[in-house]
Amino acid sequence: MNLRLALHRLLALVRKRRLERELNNEVLAHLELAEKDLIAAGTSLAEARQAARRNFGGIEQMKEDHRDHRSFPWIEVLLKDLRYGLGGLARDPGFAIVTIGVLALGIGANTAMFSSVDAVLWKPLPFPEPERIVRVWEVPKPGLHNGTSTLTFLDWKRQNTIFEALSVEQATKVALTTGGEPTRLAGNLVSADYFKVFGVQPQIGRAFSPGDDQPGAPPVIVLSHAAWQTRFGGDPGILNRDLVLDGEPNRVIGVLPPGSFDRDVASFWKPLIFAPEQMTRGSHWITTVGRLRSGVSMQQAQAQMNALRASLAKLMAPWKKDWTFGVEPYGQLLVGNRLRQSIYLAFGAVLMVLLIACSNVANLLLAKGAGRRKEMALRAALGATRARLVAQLLTESLVLCVFGGAAGIAVAYLFIRAAVPLLSASLPATADVTLDVRVLAFAAVAAMTVSVLVGLLPSLQISLGKLTQTLNQSGRGSSGSTAVLRRIIVAGEVAVSLVLICGAGLLFKSLVNLQQVDAGVRIENVITMSADLPLAKYPTPDSAAQFYQAAVERIQTVPGIERAAVSQDLPLQGVRGGELMFVRGFTEPLVVRFKRVDPQYFRTLDIGLESGRGIGDRDRAGAPRVIVINHELARHLSKYFHIANPVGQEVRMTLPGYGKNEGSMQTVQIVGIIHNEHTGDLQAPVELVSYIPLAQIPRQDIKIVARTLGDPSAAVSAIREAVRQIDPNLPLADVRTMEEIKQRNLTWAKQPTWVIGAFAAVAALLAALGLYGVLAHAVTQQRREIGIRMALGARSADVLSHILRNALSMVVVGLAIGLAGAFALTRFMKSLLFGVSVLDPLALTVACVSMTLIGLLAAWIPANRAARLDPMSALREG
Amino acid sequence: MSIANMSESKTEIPYGTLDLLILKSLETMGPMHGYRIARRIEQVAENLLRLNQGSIYPALMRLEQQGWIRTEWGVSETKRKVKFYSLTKAGLKQLRVEIANWENTTALVARFLEAES
Repeated sequence: MNLRLALHRLLALVRKRRLERELNNEVLAHLELAEKDLIAAGTSLAEARQAARRNFGGIEQMKEDHRDHRSFPWIEVLLKDLRYGLGGLARDPGFAIVTIGVLALGIGANTAMFSSVDAVLWKPLPFPEPERIVRVWEVPKPGLHNGTSTLTFLDWKRQNTIFEALSVEQATKVALTTGGEPTRLAGNLVSADYFKVFGVQPQIGRAFSPGDDQPGAPPVIVLSHAAWQTRFGGDPGILNRDLVLDGEPNRVIGVLPPGSFDRDVASFWKPLIFAPEQMTRGSHWITTVGRLRSGVSMQQAQAQMNALRASLAKLMAPWKKDWTFGVEPYGQLLVGNRLRQSIYLAFGAVLMVLLIACSNVANLLLAKGAGRRKEMALRAALGATRARLVAQLLTESLVLCVFGGAAGIAVAYLFIRAAVPLLSASLPATADVTLDVRVLAFAAVAAMTVSVLVGLLPSLQISLGKLTQTLNQSGRGSSGSTAVLRRIIVAGEVAVSLVLICGAGLLFKSLVNLQQVDAGVRIENVITMSADLPLAKYPTPDSAAQFYQAAVERIQTVPGIERAAVSQDLPLQGVRGGELMFVRGFTEPLVVRFKRVDPQYFRTLDIGLESGRGIGDRDRAGAPRVIVINHELARHLSKYFHIANPVGQEVRMTLPGYGKNEGSMQTVQIVGIIHNEHTGDLQAPVELVSYIPLAQIPRQDIKIVARTLGDPSAAVSAIREAVRQIDPNLPLADVRTMEEIKQRNLTWAKQPTWVIGAFAAVAALLAALGLYGVLAHAVTQQRREIGIRMALGARSADVLSHILRNALSMVVVGLAIGLAGAFALTRFMKSLLFGVSVLDPLALTVACVSMTLIGLLAAWIPANRAARLDPMSALREG
Repeated sequence: MSIANMSESKTEIPYGTLDLLILKSLETMGPMHGYRIARRIEQVAENLLRLNQGSIYPALMRLEQQGWIRTEWGVSETKRKVKFYSLTKAGLKQLRVEIANWENTTALVARFLEAES
C-alpha cells in the first residue's frame, strides 16, 4: 500500500462522520436524478421511485462496502473495542484498580530488574567503541591473571603494533590536606595514555599529555566530576589550583565529564612516573589496560602477545617459563560470575512473580468472563464471529495492560531510585541503572506479552465453549469448565510460588551456615581503620616502623581500649599480594599469601599460637628474618614437602621492598605456627599464609585494629585523637567494626537471599489472593447448595472442612508440581549456596509447610463465611 | 425467450474493469457526477451489462484515494449540491496502463481460443 493511500485511509478514520454524510447526500442526489430521468421518460411517480432504487441496488450493502474500503476497518473495530474496554473499567472501578495494581507491580518489578540486568550485563560499556578496550596480563596458567613488571610493561608498550594506547592503572590513597581537616582520597595512578584508552575527554581543562608520566614532570592531576562537585563545590577556578596530596602540591589540569567515572571509587587520576628503582622485572605490581587499534581482532592481539612473549623469553625468570601473556576484553572482567549468577537468579525470580501476577489477573478476568458468557453468547447469536469476540477480549486485556504498564513504569522508577543506592557497591562502576529507552521498550514488550497471556485464557473460554448453549442455561451457576480452569491456574500459582520459596529457603539456610563459619578471629568489640603513610614524610622503613610502634602504644593508653595492633590487611578482606616460597630440595616454588603484622596482631584478634612463637618486638629491622605460618601452610609443608615440624626450618622467599624499592630473595626462618585465620571470603577454603614482621618490611598503607571493652564505635574519636598526636596530617579512613566487615563479606550471599525472599513473599501473597478469589467466588455461587446441605443436617464444621479440603486439593497439586519445578531449577543456584544441598530436605519441607499454611489461611475466610451461612436465608434467595 | 431470461443474459461487470469503465467515461465526457457516470456506462453498454448503479460509489472513493480522479462540488439538475468527478493527470496515465493491460489480456485469451484446434 502506498503512502498516499494510507494517508487517505487514516484521514478517513478522523473524517468518518463527514464522509458518511457526504455519501448519504450522494445517494439521495443519485436517486433524485434517476427518478427525474425516469419521469421524463414517462414513468409514473411511484414506479419511478421504485425503479430508481432497483437500479441503484442495495443501498446499505453499498454503504458497507464503501466503509470497509475507505479506511482500515480493523482500526475502527479496535477503537470500538477500546472504547468498550475503557467503559467496562469505568463501570467496575474496584476490578480495574486491583488488576491494574497487580499488573503495575509485576511489570514494574520486572522493568526495574531488567534495567539492572541490562546495565550490568548487556548494555555496551559507556565508552566509545568499548569492544576495543582490553586488559593485558601475565598468565601463570590458563584462567589466572597476574600483574606484570615495569620493564615488561614498557616492552609491551614499545614493541607492539596492536595498541592505540596502553596504560598502567594503580589504585592509590592519599591524604588531601587542602582546606581544613585532612581527608583520605582514593585515586588512580595511570600512564599519560590512560584517558585515550577509554576515549574520554575532560569536560574542562586538558587530559594528560605524553610528557606528564616522564621523570621530572611537574605533578598534575585530573579530577572526577563528582569529586569536583562534592569536594570543591564545582568551583570553576579549580583548574590551575594546587591541591596538597600527601604533602605535595598537585596542579589540577582537568575535570572529567559526569558519567561512569563518577561511580568509580577514584576521585582523581595522576600520572605514574616510574622511579629508577622500579625499573626491574622482579615485582609484578602493574595492572594494564589498553585500547586496540581499530580493526585489530582479539585473535590478532593475542597472537602478537604470544610473539612478544617468545621474544622476551630470555629475560624472564626461569620459574616463569610456563607463564604467557594474555589479552582479554575489559567488559568481560567487570562482572564476576557470582554477580552474573545472582542477577540472572533475581531476574528469573521476578519473571515468576510476573507470571503469578498474570495468572491472578487472568483468573479475575475468567471470573468476570463467566458472568459475561451471556453477553458473548448473545453477540455470537447475532452474527459476531469467534475471531471478533476473541479480538474484543484481547483488546480489553490490552487496555488493562496499557494502564498496568504505564503505572508499572512509575513503579519501576521508584524501585530503581530505592534500590540503586543499596546495590551500587556490588555493581561495576560502568553499570548505569536508569530508565532509558531500552528499559522503556522492555516495559512495553512486557505489557504487550502480559496482555496476550492474560487475555488468552478468557478468550479460549469463549472459543472452546459452546456459546449458544449458554443462552439456554438457567441464569445461575458458573460453568464447570471455567471453574476447573480457574482451579488449575491457582494450582499453577501455588507451584511457581513454591519454587521461589524453596529457592529463598535454600539461600537463607546457606546464609545461616555462612554466619556460623568460624572466622578464626575475634569479631566482637573490634574496631578497625586504615591509614596511608605518605612516602615524603616516611621515606625509610625505620620511620614507618617507628610510627606503627608509637601509634599502637598511644592507642593502648586510651581508656576502654584493651589492645591495639597494626597490620597490612584485615581478616576477611583478602591479603593483597602473594610471594614465592622456595623449600630446600624442591625447584617448584610455593605461592603463599604474604601478610605483614605487628607483634600485637595475633593477640588483639585472638588468633592462638599452635607451636613455636609469634612475632615479637625483637623482630625489627636488622634482626634475622623470621616468619610465622598458619596451620594450613604447616599442613601443606608436611604433606607435599615432607617437613614434619616446620618450626625452626629455613625457607627462601621473595620479599617486597618499602616504597618504590624492589624486593629481593631472602632466607627466612619459620619461628611459629598459628591457628587458621580466614584471611579472605568466609566460604572460601583457608589460604596458605605466611606472617612477616611489619617492622622488618613495613608498608605505607596499613590497617589499625583495636579491641575495646565496650561499644567499639565509641572508641573511634579517641583513637583518631591518639593518632593525631603522633601525626596531625594523617587522615584515618574506612572506620569499620569487625562485625561490619564480616557482614560486608557476606553481602554477595545476603543480597540474593533478601531479593529472592522478597519475591517469594510477594509470590506467595499473590497465590493466596488467587486461591482466596476462587474460593470466595465458589462460595458465592454455591450458597444455595450449601444452604440445602445445611438444611439437611450438615454442621458448620462439615461445611468448613469441605471448603478447606477444596482449597487443600488445589494446594497439594500445586505443591507436587512446584517440588518438581524446584528440583529442576534450584540446581542453577548451586554456586550461590554454602554448605546446603540443592535438595536440602529441611528447606524444602519448610517451604511446603509454609505454602500450605498460607493456602489454608487464604481459604479460611471464605470457608468461615460459608460455615456461618444461614440456610433459611440462602434458600429463600433462590 | 421471456423478458426475465433476457435480463439474466446480461453479464456482470468483469472483475476489476469497473475502474477502467469509470476512468474511460471521465476521459470521454469530462467532469460528471456519480449518476451521470453510471448512466454513461449503462448507455455505452446498451443492454449488455447489468450494473448496480450504487456500486460505482465505492469504486469512485477508491479511485479518488489513489489520486486518479478528483472531486469538486457542483450543483445537480435537481438543484442539489453534488460531487463532480474529473480525471487527474495521474488518472489519465493509469487509464493508459489499464487499457494496455486489458488489450494484452484480451489478446492473450483470444490467442488461446484460436489455438484450440
